[in-house]
Amino acid sequence: MSGAPAKSLVSGASGKPAPPNRPLVRRVLIATTVAFLTLFIVIPVVNVFAQAFSKGIDAYVSVFQAPSQPKDAQLSLVERRKLTAARGQAEKTWSSIRLTIGIAAVVVPLNIVFGLAAAWSVTKFRFGGRSLLIALIDLPFSVSPVIAGLIFVLLLGRNGVFGDWATHVTWPDPFSLHWRGFAEDWWPLEFTQSYTGIIFTPFAIVLASIFVTFPFVARSLISLMETQGSDEEVAALSLGASGWRTFWKITLPNVKWALLYGVILSTARAFGEFGAVSVVSGHIDSNDTMPLRIEKLWNEYNNQAAFSVASLLALLAVVTLIVQLIVERQTGKDEMRHTEGEGIP
Amino acid sequence: MSIEVRSVSKTFNQFKALDHVSLKVETGELVSLLGPSGCGKTTLLRVIAGMEAADDISGPILFDGRDVSTEGVGKRRIGFVFQHYALFKHMSVFENVAFGLRAKPWRQRPGEAEIRAKVGELLQLVQLQNMAQRYPSQLSGGQRQRVALARALAVEPRVLLLDEPFGALDATVRRELRRWLRKLHSKIHVTTILVTHDQEEALEVSDRVAVMNEGRIEQFASPETIYENPANPFVFKFLGSYNLFHARKTNGGDAMAASPSDSNGVTFVRPHDIEIRRENFDGYGIAAKISHIAFAGSLVNVELARIDNEAVVDAALPAHAYKDLGLKPEDKVFIRLHNTRSFDDDYSI
Ligand SMILES: Nc1ncnc2c1ncn2[C@@H]1O[C@H](COP(=O)(O)OP(=O)(O)OP(=O)(O)O)[C@@H](O)[C@H]1O
Ligand SMILES: [Mg+2]
Repeated sequence: MSGAPAKSLVSGASGKPAPPNRPLVRRVLIATTVAFLTLFIVIPVVNVFAQAFSKGIDAYVSVFQAPSQPKDAQLSLVERRKLTAARGQAEKTWSSIRLTIGIAAVVVPLNIVFGLAAAWSVTKFRFGGRSLLIALIDLPFSVSPVIAGLIFVLLLGRNGVFGDWATHVTWPDPFSLHWRGFAEDWWPLEFTQSYTGIIFTPFAIVLASIFVTFPFVARSLISLMETQGSDEEVAALSLGASGWRTFWKITLPNVKWALLYGVILSTARAFGEFGAVSVVSGHIDSNDTMPLRIEKLWNEYNNQAAFSVASLLALLAVVTLIVQLIVERQTGKDEMRHTEGEGIP
Repeated sequence: MSIEVRSVSKTFNQFKALDHVSLKVETGELVSLLGPSGCGKTTLLRVIAGMEAADDISGPILFDGRDVSTEGVGKRRIGFVFQHYALFKHMSVFENVAFGLRAKPWRQRPGEAEIRAKVGELLQLVQLQNMAQRYPSQLSGGQRQRVALARALAVEPRVLLLDEPFGALDATVRRELRRWLRKLHSKIHVTTILVTHDQEEALEVSDRVAVMNEGRIEQFASPETIYENPANPFVFKFLGSYNLFHARKTNGGDAMAASPSDSNGVTFVRPHDIEIRRENFDGYGIAAKISHIAFAGSLVNVELARIDNEAVVDAALPAHAYKDLGLKPEDKVFIRLHNTRSFDDDYSI
């Protein structure tokens, strides 16, 4: 009993970290956070834009679109060469943007499907090895992306486990699909390009991107679905709804914001991934995604161009942030809607 | 429709949640499953509904004599009301109730006008006709409960399974809804199984009560029989507060006077079956001293200590009787036991 007052004293001191009666602590904490964020986030991002526009807007635009040759002007040989080189650079930059978007367009839908399936299976069913599965889903977070890339090289490279098969397999480029008409065959579509091999092709980039982005959708869904349980689904089934209908009408609406959140995060990562992609791309120009392109420009001492491409990624990050804010607000609103009025008699 | 389960068992990693349970509910009957937390009530209900598969050694689950144990939850045509409602949060009350109708295979699916009429009718039945456009979050607990019931009734189930439907509500609302359920049941007469751990609720609404304990059914009988003639000490104990004496009631005498050598039996008596008087009952009474008095609304709980062996006895008497006697703590009084129940063994809960 004699220890009671001392105990209450201790618990009073170790209560919330910033109680309202401690303005100094609060101010120091806020100042530290703001200083940290400014130093490590705001200044670098602003710097990206500053560098990108350091030679003016025209220079910025010319990174993506080389200036057209003036019609009447007589250009010297040097000038003409310069122009051709600039056009080549712009073309490479564009190709990297197209590839990045293409990769994301393949990876993100796959992530949605895998993520939903994984989250569904580990939250709605109980089975042996379930916790192992959850741990596996998290694995890509703890593995360095470079290692992830190397795993694929070791599996699919010339001397890899599946090397024999992987170096000879031929697959069509899905973006080369075009309309040929019915003249030649009953099937009107045709691929005009195909690749041989997997490693050092966009296929490998897709694989590496899936590896590093997979946890985002699954994670954000699992934590939500875990708390929601499966009562609503079982209720729907008991009312005679099919599994498919239950999924579309009950499960999906309940997780839509979490799903969107996961999609945004995995899109941002798919756009920005460097390490894993760098290893499997083989440093071939046509395999460059935006981050790889940035690195090459940087290595060619073309700083302004590098930062211009980087500014696109930074812009994407800003968009991500905004959508994230909206999503969080919506989730908050939904939760409010779900809990308010709980106490009405 | 009648429901019968024959020797159903359910094991969760070696834990026996249901242990050879057999139960037969007649058509149109309202039966309660009553038992302490964790005794397997929900599990039994889920097995009947098809949400949980029984162990392989189990006997069949018969709906009107037909084995349905291999049919899925959607096929059994049951209306299930969950302990925590499980309403569809993102749908209005109307859409919640209409869900089962819209989910029918398109050949049997009613038209929009028909759905509207049917849902309106059901909302009328549960007295929520002007709440159709609200969302579940904008309803009180009792209203949500009724939406859950209307939703289950929409598909015209052959059986209603209610898992602690009033569990999360306060006492007044509970009583109200209980009456209302009773009335509803006499109107639509669908075979109903109600899970509850509230003995008052079970006794009040059901035609018959199944008292469960540790995955087994201890007694299955009418509320009156359960209360008047409990099959064993567990049932007696579960149905209300009690005094327990480790002695058998001797012929004509009373338990408290019985000799200690006869101690392998137990005798129970309910607090309200203890009579208190100021003067002795022709020599049969037991002298006791009042140690504590507590008011509990219409009843007054009186705690007494026997003068001879200090054993504690709980009595409950109507407020007017208490006033007439003018009892005060430390008063010396005489008590007599009515309606005592004796059992051979005291196997503990
Ligand atoms: N999915 C499960 N996995 C493991 N054990 C379970 C599972 N479901 C139920 N049990 C166990 O089975 C026993 C019976 O559970 P049940 O839910 O049927 O109890 P109940 O009678 O409904 O209790 P309550 O009144 O608390 O709802 C409990 O001991 C519980 O721990
Ligand atoms: Mg239960």
